[in-house]
Amino acid sequence: MVAIGNAHDDLIHDAVLDYYGKRLATSSSDKTIKIFEIEGTENYKLVTTLTGHEGPVWQVAWAHPKFGSILASCSYDGRALIWKEQPETQQWSIIAEHSAHQASVNSVSWAPHELGAVLLVTSSDGKVSVVDFNEDGTTSHVIFDAHAIGINSASWAPLNNTNSKDASVLKQQRRFVTCGSDNLAKIWKFDAASNSYVEEAKLEGHTDWVRDVAWSPSVLTRSYIATASQDRTVLIWSQDNNGVWQKQLLTEEKFPDVCWRCSWSLSGNILAVSGGDNKVSLWKENLQGKWESAGEVDQ
Amino acid sequence: MVKINEIARTSTFAWSLDSLPLLATGTVAGAVDVDFSSSASLEVWDTFSATNKNDPIFSAPVENRFYALAWSKPFEGRPKGLLAGAFENGVIEFWDAEILIKSKDLKKASVHKSHKHSGPVKSLQFSPSQDHVMVSGGAQGQIFIWDTKVFSEPFSPGQAMTPMDDVTSVAWNNSISHIIASTGSNGYTSIWDLKSKREVLHLSYSGPSGRANFSHVAWHPTQSTKLITASDNDSCPLILTWDLRNSNEPEKILEGHKKGVLSLDWCKQDPNLLISSGKDNTTFLWNPITAEKLGEYPTTANWAFQTGFAPAVPDIFATASFDGKIIIQSLQDTSPPVSTKVTSNDDNVFWNQISTTETQQPVFQIKQAPEWLKRPSSVSFGFGSKIVQVKKDESGKSIINILKFVSKSQGGSSKLYE
Repeated sequence: MVAIGNAHDDLIHDAVLDYYGKRLATSSSDKTIKIFEIEGTENYKLVTTLTGHEGPVWQVAWAHPKFGSILASCSYDGRALIWKEQPETQQWSIIAEHSAHQASVNSVSWAPHELGAVLLVTSSDGKVSVVDFNEDGTTSHVIFDAHAIGINSASWAPLNNTNSKDASVLKQQRRFVTCGSDNLAKIWKFDAASNSYVEEAKLEGHTDWVRDVAWSPSVLTRSYIATASQDRTVLIWSQDNNGVWQKQLLTEEKFPDVCWRCSWSLSGNILAVSGGDNKVSLWKENLQGKWESAGEVDQ
Repeated sequence: MVKINEIARTSTFAWSLDSLPLLATGTVAGAVDVDFSSSASLEVWDTFSATNKNDPIFSAPVENRFYALAWSKPFEGRPKGLLAGAFENGVIEFWDAEILIKSKDLKKASVHKSHKHSGPVKSLQFSPSQDHVMVSGGAQGQIFIWDTKVFSEPFSPGQAMTPMDDVTSVAWNNSISHIIASTGSNGYTSIWDLKSKREVLHLSYSGPSGRANFSHVAWHPTQSTKLITASDNDSCPLILTWDLRNSNEPEKILEGHKKGVLSLDWCKQDPNLLISSGKDNTTFLWNPITAEKLGEYPTTANWAFQTGFAPAVPDIFATASFDGKIIIQSLQDTSPPVSTKVTSNDDNVFWNQISTTETQQPVFQIKQAPEWLKRPSSVSFGFGSKIVQVKKDESGKSIINILKFVSKSQGGSSKLYE
């Protein structure tokens, strides 16, 4: 096990491994991002500290390696920043700044890589923006109202099986879910006719802020959406035979504290939930379609 | 700030406790319209409505004007809570909020009306621990505690240490359910113990610029011995924080208002945030713990007599002023300031532009992130069934653990990490 203490001068809000599980990016209220090299099962080494944000950094996200060594970050300062490591010098620098939002930017997530370098950004201003990084180095974005009060997180739908390389066909595959302080999660889909993102479904079930949402990555089995809430519950959403999203409590008993985050394993069969009680619990679906504990991380 | 909505009323207000809060407004006493109309109304606005946020969802004329409104949490039999109104003639009336909004009939929604107070009622507050219990304060030092479930005879908190004048503000302690505070125009803030039925402490302040005349009082969201008071005395326009363990002098003095402070609200979700407004037409955001002014919101054209966070959505607050507006805005605005400088050489253009620029951009960005955004724990899966966990240790510092998930075969006890 790798344990990293004293990594930042203030609270750490996010820590994510890159595609290969070799490097860890962390973000903190100390306004910095750090990148660690993970060596084996016990050792780690600080590679660099990235400064540029003017407020707490809430989240970081690695782009697929086919785009290079690229990291997106978002902050209370209202901006998302895109960082790139130059392969020759191994120096990190900001290659793009996205400042279309008017309040804290709470989440950044990269689209499935087949869809191109596309970043989904959500903010306390109630808006979602989708940023396209074009091949000529320019960026373009659309921004729209998604939740009446702030948005806390978002997650992309996994890609349906497609062999198409056609950009306009691929663009119609864009689909994601957002969650907010209006106690809702909403599914959005790109609509070619109106050339905009339209609301496809509204997931109503929580009684307090929805803190995190995660769409299961697997395309083999059924598709699940997990929502973690301030109301101390996690809901699992799946579509019935009529395509209607139905909810199921992950566990009947309430969690002891706020459910802050949820994350699916890469194969999509295990869900991890982290709570305000500092515990991480693991869950899997049994043969009867019920969710049962797969253990707890009590390190 | 991002302005979310503006309601064209000279009214006192109360937020509902919904996650998409409604705003109740009542024509405020002590102000006259431009057309000298003396009519008054009670209205409810759905200020986050996607379809129509510019018209009230409920509106009814009332005979008298209001000094205060309060909206309770939902409790047994009141699924949307009770709305209480304090009228200038001393009447307090209670309405069922759900019936009010559904039936749009003020009479049908009225559940109780009382003439208990013998003069104007200035302040109302529901208890944070007992949802159906309310305190009211008004003229001649009268304070009453109400049980709005049964509407038994309201009772007084007990004997005062010194004769009291008009009570302008009442507030429940947020952790000890039988303690309340009141402020009055005699220059005292009084602490009452409802168990022993008497005033147990009182505070006063005289500084180099004069004696504080307390207009408003609020308790610390979690610490039971701390409270904050505002003075509406123009020569002593201070906000004072107190720790009752030493009630001789204030802990911190928040200086910044140029004229008397009329209203303040201490954020329930983050003790490091407080908003205040006053006779200098300003609304300020403070860190009341460090006594640091965090920012100024666009000024109003007349006294800003009330300001308050939406209780379930503290990113949002409202300010009511005597210029006939209630502004609903967000706490933070990170968009770059727009230059409002008028550059034209033509005198007429200059004066036209400068007088139509009514709301200027805020002159600040809040550097201090609110508590409710600070995620203390996190988890994410990575390649090779690795789990990255972020958690707080005993001293409040963050630790990161990278673990490996090892799934065992069906039935057997599963080992989670190594």
